[in-house]
Amino acid sequence: MPQIPMQLREALSLVQKPGRYTGGEPGCVYKDKSKVDVRMAFCFPDTYEIGMSFLGEKILYALLNRHENWWCERAFMPWTDMKEQMERLQIPLYCLESKDALREFDIVGFSLEYELCYTNILAMLDLSGIPLRAADRDEHWPLVIAGGPCVCNAEPMADFFDVMQLGEGEQMLQDICAAVEQGKKQGLSKQQLLESLAQIPGVYVPSFYDVTYQPDGRIEAVRPNRPGVPERVTKAIVKDMDSFIPPEDFVVPLVGAIQDRACVEVLRGCVRGCRFCQAGQIYRPFRERSPEVISESARRLCRNTGYDELSLSSLSTSDHSRLEDILDKLNAWAEADHVSLSLPSLRVDNFSQSLVEKTTKVRKSGLTFAAEAGTQRLRDVINKNVTWEQIERGCRIAFAEGYTSVKLYFMMGLPTETMEDIQGIADTAQKVVDLFYANPDRPKGKGVQVTISVACFVPKPMTPFQFCAQDKRDILREKQKYLLSCVRSRKIRVNYHDSATSVLEGVFAKGDRRLGAVIETAYRNGAFFDTWEEYFNYDRWLEAFRTCGLDPDFYNYRTIALDEVTPWDHLDVGVSRAHLVREYQKALCAETTQPCNRQCSGCGANKLLGGPCFDYSKDSV
Amino acid sequence: MITVRIRFEKVGEAAYISLLDLQRVFHRILKRSGLPVYYTQGYNPHIYLSFACPLSLGQESVCESCEVKTEEEQADFAAWQAILQPYMPQGIRVISVAPARDKVTEIETATYQIALPAAAAPALEAYNAAEQAVVLKKSKRGQKETDLKAYCKQVEYTVGAQEVSFTLTLPCGTGEALSLNPGLLLGYLQQTHNIPPWQCRVLRTCLYTKNGEEFC
Repeated sequence: MPQIPMQLREALSLVQKPGRYTGGEPGCVYKDKSKVDVRMAFCFPDTYEIGMSFLGEKILYALLNRHENWWCERAFMPWTDMKEQMERLQIPLYCLESKDALREFDIVGFSLEYELCYTNILAMLDLSGIPLRAADRDEHWPLVIAGGPCVCNAEPMADFFDVMQLGEGEQMLQDICAAVEQGKKQGLSKQQLLESLAQIPGVYVPSFYDVTYQPDGRIEAVRPNRPGVPERVTKAIVKDMDSFIPPEDFVVPLVGAIQDRACVEVLRGCVRGCRFCQAGQIYRPFRERSPEVISESARRLCRNTGYDELSLSSLSTSDHSRLEDILDKLNAWAEADHVSLSLPSLRVDNFSQSLVEKTTKVRKSGLTFAAEAGTQRLRDVINKNVTWEQIERGCRIAFAEGYTSVKLYFMMGLPTETMEDIQGIADTAQKVVDLFYANPDRPKGKGVQVTISVACFVPKPMTPFQFCAQDKRDILREKQKYLLSCVRSRKIRVNYHDSATSVLEGVFAKGDRRLGAVIETAYRNGAFFDTWEEYFNYDRWLEAFRTCGLDPDFYNYRTIALDEVTPWDHLDVGVSRAHLVREYQKALCAETTQPCNRQCSGCGANKLLGGPCFDYSKDSV
Repeated sequence: MITVRIRFEKVGEAAYISLLDLQRVFHRILKRSGLPVYYTQGYNPHIYLSFACPLSLGQESVCESCEVKTEEEQADFAAWQAILQPYMPQGIRVISVAPARDKVTEIETATYQIALPAAAAPALEAYNAAEQAVVLKKSKRGQKETDLKAYCKQVEYTVGAQEVSFTLTLPCGTGEALSLNPGLLLGYLQQTHNIPPWQCRVLRTCLYTKNGEEFC
């Protein structure tokens, strides 16, 4: 067993939860580094507890390490106390398995899950001693790559990455590793390697594209600057979900992760087409995994990890056409194996009695319904096809089953929103409280707790609302105040948070390549862990924008014309711009669109499958 | 019902697993192993599992143990050991699995192998010469002054090329009984002679029962 070096021992003795920095968890993969051809550092730009909750990393870790001659290891953003010690003791950021510094790897890959993690990526590169900008790295440095949902508008981070992956990584990342292996054997230069990588479906090499701007700052065009590079990069997908077996072993964290349970992805994509939701658009088309594969993999996963809790994950689990079948198969072994089931992402409109019974065998916790908006008109605008009658039905079933707490999710700052819609949020919660007391069989001596969680709406690229301007902070504050004044019951709790982080999220979500300088400046001035309120400093960001001569309001507080070239136009996630425009115009008239499994709305994503997403001849749903 | 003691080493990376985390790790390993361990019979049945004299974070040990129960009368414990080992995290090695002979309350003392940087020799000399070595011992009921010299009069150390090392025996009782952590001595040396604790290695080598036998 390798001894832990003295400097690391010193750092570990001075920080909270040192178990986050030592690795060695059950399920983690060790290989002989002299016998592997490709070494990849899979980096998550947030803490260990958050990164270890992330299913994507587990999927790719398992897939890459199946190749005998590749070794994928993990690195996370050290918490501030550890970061300080590592800087003081000059310990470069290392991977948990081998404890080797990131700069010794062939590939350093980051997951881009959230815009406010961008500064952490720079901090992690800096801690490794790797130059931040791709242009400053030759072939002696690792290939620095990115993946994850934020790549759908990759531009603000484009200067820092050699390669960005648009879409799903199962095949793409393996192709990248294979190309790197080939490149090493053939002694390719970095340019040559990038040229070969650019041929892989979904791979975007930012340095191969030039951006030109109009005098007012809008984009004129994004064009490839060499032959043999696609005009538009098309997202990579897994066509058949059963062709990739979900991971049947996890690295089981020693220090508690946020999501510390077995988890199986049951479907990908979403049929709903809520107009505010980026995930609902960029993960299209909808694809299901079969109940047999789900149940078998879940069982093996629970046995291999020892987890006693299993979660079925997806954007909308209850939209699986064979959900009852899945639950029956799981329940056939779960109890005997001491495993309890949990189903996040249930929808209120198809929440049924038998579903509740099948999922609450072991423990009753609270229930969460996402209503998103307070009035039917606004729910129609955002295409959240949920009615009050459905919420009422869902709550009635839940209360009858003995639940006493309900959480309702809403958004504020949605397009066309008025104070009437804000009032509607409070009214909806009040009606749920009244429902509880209208139930004659309610548990005696127990009150009801209704929690309203209100998030600030951030317009995201690749959604019908990408054209919209974000609500300004003072307007949001006014709406928050008004909402509080509308709530009159002590049974209702209101959660909301400050909107400064939402402003930046909006700016970077729709930002262009020039913002790289702002991110770097803010980082140099001390910004990291911007996702953590205690480290977020809005003024530091405003200062960085001033230093770089850029106006943040240009990005998020401006309505984008329907024919304007956006910074992400050269990235194709499948959904066409014509569809987004059509949906936006319908939204303004409060017209709804059917879910895809009922009627195809022609979004264009089925080109990725090469045929229709559903067999509409069958009478489904 | 038999009480089964699983004895194991906890070294290297595993030294940084806290007791709370270790309990969760063992829970999962036992569940995963499929061994016929006893589950409590409550509303949420869980594996009966109890650790003896847990170690401080960062210290290593070759004599850790935990207890489970089983209703199997004729269990093959050598097989248990072989089944459990592959599931263990880095740094944990199962030494033995066997029916428990002693109760945890029988534990009275523990011995430690301690290694300090060579520069610590004068600090140990000073400790040996001192009349008293009073440290603050924190417990759930607040802080209490304790004289280390009452439990460890002299430290008989040997000087190596890079470090000085010695064996230390300290009370290690459970519950109400007195227990002293070797970290107290290291803290004292840091306070008096500025010896950084992270340069000191603590390895617990053995637990002894009240009648002087090795706990097992």
